[in-house]
Amino acid sequence: MEPDRERELVERCRRGEVGAFDELVDRYKNLVFAMIHRTLPDPSSADDLAQDVFLRIHRGLPYFRGEARLSTWVYRIVVNVCMQDRGRGAQSVSLDDANARVSTPAAADRHANDLELRDRLEKAIAQLPPQQRVLIAAHYLRGVQYEELAEAMNLPLGTVKNQLHRAKRQLRMLLETDLK
Amino acid sequence: MTCDDVQNAIELIAAGEMTPDAETASHLAACRSCAAALEAARRVDALLRQRPIPAPPAQFTARTLASIRRARWRNEQMIDWGFNAALAFVGVAIAIGVWIVVSRSGFTFAGNDALQLFGAGLRTFLQRVTPALPIYALATMLLITALGIWWWAERDAI
Repeated sequence: MEPDRERELVERCRRGEVGAFDELVDRYKNLVFAMIHRTLPDPSSADDLAQDVFLRIHRGLPYFRGEARLSTWVYRIVVNVCMQDRGRGAQSVSLDDANARVSTPAAADRHANDLELRDRLEKAIAQLPPQQRVLIAAHYLRGVQYEELAEAMNLPLGTVKNQLHRAKRQLRMLLETDLK
Repeated sequence: MTCDDVQNAIELIAAGEMTPDAETASHLAACRSCAAALEAARRVDALLRQRPIPAPPAQFTARTLASIRRARWRNEQMIDWGFNAALAFVGVAIAIGVWIVVSRSGFTFAGNDALQLFGAGLRTFLQRVTPALPIYALATMLLITALGIWWWAERDAI
């Protein structure tokens, strides 16, 4: 969304124009929900937390000064909500769950292996520190750039890139045996 | 060029954010361990790109807006309650102040007369109103029920 249209939408929301906040929710709900769902170790609360994000946006709109882009501010709120939720439902997930590693018969196709690998990837992501989970979730969603992430997380650009590469390296280490 | 040097750049190369220079490329061609690490990093990158994008539930917008209205309504209720409590407090404070002033200024006799007059008026009023009390009670109950239903419906609707 272009900055001018963002500003216009914020102004319409501030004026209390009918349908303006609905438009804001419709515009950002996919991104907010996906980011939260991908970040939380327990995605069952993603719906509630995504609603909480929009409640905070609604409360904060009168104080939004427009120094940052609306999308950056939205990411910042999502990051805060995800980081605050890290204690809730956090659990250590073992990659070697009894059910996780099903010995596939020789005849089993590649599709089954891919599904298993994806499942193990999700479990490996759940083992990352919250900040790295947020970065992985956001970076691989369309439209979230390094610069916006750095601004949203209040971190230098270099730190964001460094953390992201560390996270990917950690994932590679965790999945080493599966990837061979 | 050591394996450690290459390993530090593996994720960047795998994501396409860095093109390996000649030295790194020749190391990757010769070192099986680093080549395998690059291949693994590329698979991780591909898997991350292929992660399904979860979509919000169908009624997400409607439910979000409803919860915002509910939160706003609760907030307004709190403000109303605070205002009413403050008003009651001010009323009581004024009454106490008046009572203190009256009792200290020697107007007690006049106050007693006024009180007797008020009591007589109240008795007359009650004598006239008593026959119609059941109707008033019924009307009050109906009013309270209607207000209760309105409150309940409003609470559910927002």
